[in-house]
Amino acid sequence: MKMIPEDAIERLLDGCKEISKECELQNISEWEIVGSQGYGRSLDIEAGRISLASGGGEGGFGVRILENGRYGYAHLVDVSGANHAVSQALSIARASPSIPGFNLPSTQEAKTVDGMIDDSILKLSPDDLLSQGDDIISEVASLDERAVVIGGGIGIGAEASVMLSSQGIEASGISTSHGLGVQVSIDVDGQMTSSWESSSSRKLMKGIPDCVSTAVEWAQKTRDPIEIKSDAVDTPVIMTSQGISSLFSNIIRPSILGERMVRGESYWSGKLNQVVLDNHLTMMDDRRMEGGFGSGSRDGEGVPTSCHTIIENGTLRKMLWSSRDAAKNVSEGRVDAAESTGSASRGSHMSPPTTGCGDVHLLSSKPPMSLDEMVDAMGTGYVIHSVMGAHTANPTSGDFSVTSSTVLRVEDGEIRGAIKQAGVSGNLFKALSDEVSLGHSSTRNGVSSTGTNHLSNILFAQGMRINPA
Amino acid sequence: MNNALSNALTFGASYAEIRLMAETTSSVRLKDGQLEHAIPGQEIGATLRILADGAWGVHSTTDISNIPNEIEATVRLAKAVAARRPSGSNPIQLAEVPIHQDEIHWKSKKDVRDTDLDTKLSMLDSIHQSANDDQRIISVSCGWSDEHLHTELLTTEGMDRTWSFQRSMVNGMVTARDGGDPVSYRMRHGGEGGLELIEACDLQSLGGDARIAALRLLKAKRSPSGKLPLIADRDLTGVYIHEALGHPCEADLVAAGDSCLDGKLGQKIGNEIVTVVDDPTMRGGYGAYPIDDEGLDTKEKTLIKNGILTDYLNHRETAHHFGLEPNAGARAQDGLHHPLVRMSNTMIMGGNFNDIDELMEDIDYGVYACGSRGGQVDTGRGSFQFAAQEAYLIENGEITTPLRDVSVSGLTLQILNDVDGLTKDAKLASPGFCGKGQTVPVGDGGPIMRIREALVG
Repeated sequence: MKMIPEDAIERLLDGCKEISKECELQNISEWEIVGSQGYGRSLDIEAGRISLASGGGEGGFGVRILENGRYGYAHLVDVSGANHAVSQALSIARASPSIPGFNLPSTQEAKTVDGMIDDSILKLSPDDLLSQGDDIISEVASLDERAVVIGGGIGIGAEASVMLSSQGIEASGISTSHGLGVQVSIDVDGQMTSSWESSSSRKLMKGIPDCVSTAVEWAQKTRDPIEIKSDAVDTPVIMTSQGISSLFSNIIRPSILGERMVRGESYWSGKLNQVVLDNHLTMMDDRRMEGGFGSGSRDGEGVPTSCHTIIENGTLRKMLWSSRDAAKNVSEGRVDAAESTGSASRGSHMSPPTTGCGDVHLLSSKPPMSLDEMVDAMGTGYVIHSVMGAHTANPTSGDFSVTSSTVLRVEDGEIRGAIKQAGVSGNLFKALSDEVSLGHSSTRNGVSSTGTNHLSNILFAQGMRINPA
Repeated sequence: MNNALSNALTFGASYAEIRLMAETTSSVRLKDGQLEHAIPGQEIGATLRILADGAWGVHSTTDISNIPNEIEATVRLAKAVAARRPSGSNPIQLAEVPIHQDEIHWKSKKDVRDTDLDTKLSMLDSIHQSANDDQRIISVSCGWSDEHLHTELLTTEGMDRTWSFQRSMVNGMVTARDGGDPVSYRMRHGGEGGLELIEACDLQSLGGDARIAALRLLKAKRSPSGKLPLIADRDLTGVYIHEALGHPCEADLVAAGDSCLDGKLGQKIGNEIVTVVDDPTMRGGYGAYPIDDEGLDTKEKTLIKNGILTDYLNHRETAHHFGLEPNAGARAQDGLHHPLVRMSNTMIMGGNFNDIDELMEDIDYGVYACGSRGGQVDTGRGSFQFAAQEAYLIENGEITTPLRDVSVSGLTLQILNDVDGLTKDAKLASPGFCGKGQTVPVGDGGPIMRIREALVG
């Protein structure tokens, strides 16, 4: 039996039409309704065994209405509450400020993005998923008999979504996902080390994903830490793609949103067409990446998507806009001209669209370096694989002060060993602005419902401070 | 639904429950004094949880009427998990608990669902006006959120409980710039309860204090790095105890082998001045709830008494696993998630010092850190990190230079021993959220706390 009903789209479309009738009954000229229904199966792993398996589905509808440039929003699960929801949205619209020039997007042709659905995920049975769980647990034990998967799990999902608007948009689609995460621990001889790794794809990940062996590897690498007698020191640092991703998500992604830029809330405010990154670095926001978690044919308000070069050879070229944020900031005089970049994101049917990033890539025009080459080039410094507390970073200033328990000490181009713990601090904007080297192929990490980072290992020659515990 | 649950036993389950949760929510956001959005919502979800052959099968859905059709498949799922249990691994069993059939409704003095949009906007505008009162303030964002939560739980043991309560909160973020790099400061106020909670708050002070703090940060220096004496205000004391102790005390993590407190019940793990409680019955705290998501009456739990680890936070499964008395620590994010062991309102109790001056007087060089930007913990390794919104140098017993972006890290089992001073006045600080795969509201706090030596960065 397929995970998602054959008529999932039709059911959602019927719900949207029901709500649209209510909008018309209440004489609302512009309305936009989204419906989504997710279906999934998952399992939890604890203490080296599968502890729980689950399945189910959840979803609902969101309705955005616009009256004379004023907008209101409401969400609901049961369409029998459409009258109430639409009335609430209307009363909120009437209390909202008018945004001159703001209209809901009209229908435009949108090309499909490939790789968003894998039929083999839809056909995967609960037993198939449990077997993959068994395989992962066994694989960890075979890689290191001391290693145990103490946490994590596997999930597959399929989401049907529909958008219907008064402006003629009627769009629908189904996307799939397969994700797994493992917390691998080695707890012997009175010493416990562990590592969390994850992997995700819109396609079925067959076999054992590489992240499983990586988790074992880092649980092994961080054992028997060496002592470093050092005060806090400004030093070169290599951050693996996993290590940098959470900081990148919390600091860099918000800084390229148009509204934050024009309000002065971004470190890069007022720096359009200025050099903001090391001059060989280019940053793209791609909403049309094959199989991208932040990609799709249309954005969260139905506008066709694009791939944008935000930073080109170090120079800030562009910022991202939803149609509403663009109209609002133009009407309020913060920016002379702005229009949707097809960058509206929704967390779920419960949220109105706001400007967000899609699949963000950081690229270099210089030849990429292997990790060994980076270690050699660094000479003396540290390799950081994961950090705790990235969410405490300051997205406005770019300052961060986090902690890592997966730190390797490098001296004279050789890895000497792990240290138990270190504070890592700096300013990510400044650290990325000079003497940066990127590693080989970027890894997908930092997956969220509103996008993904595609980052490689990064060598920072400056801008990082390490404070060994 | 009772019939459907009975069917679970027929299909071979040893226990089954259906927990249904309906949420009425509202969120409002004001940006620079203008309404950005107001979102009313009605959500409903239910989770069917079945124990069969000592393993869990779960089905969660917004399609409530379809739950009876999922019983058999969910029993099969649980049995499939059980069939994979490794030899030597014990089947899951649940601790015995009292069975109740009743309703408990924590009524707010002013039902937040009756609060109209104008009232919310007016209150947020108070915050905005006071926060915005300086030309160096470049933006002020204020938010309102409230929720009325209604839960019903039916179990095959005969539990039939219904409970409800509300939460309300206002928050804000002030961004300032003075020619150089921007800085920001955020504030929160709220808890379990209705409109009366927000009315009791001096919103002008909330906004004004945030403005002053943001302006202070414009002149703040980078923090020194190293092992230094640290004084933490109530907010940071709360985050510290939440991260450093609370998470490692969660019995599901202990049972999974992911806690540095495994095997340490009854052992001295901290300075004898340290006593820590987790108390969901603390009305008004953001982590308060009347009944846990397995249907147990809530109560105060003492996790550390005078430095000795006395209890884990547990749910029925882990209570049985460790042979502990169930202490109602099961919480689910909403109707679509199964319960995990979670904190509620977690606090260090007060000590003997009268005020911060007494705590500082013998510190030659240290840091006073205030306001939380959040924290994180690696429960297995026992290492944690939390970050302050602002901080100051302490020099010769006096507060001197403002600092920015200060974080503190350490090892749970070391730093609990390094707490060497607490003021007398313990109370909850700002409301917060805790993530553990699922997000739940929590309260935490305590007195002002001194740590002999912490890794500051």
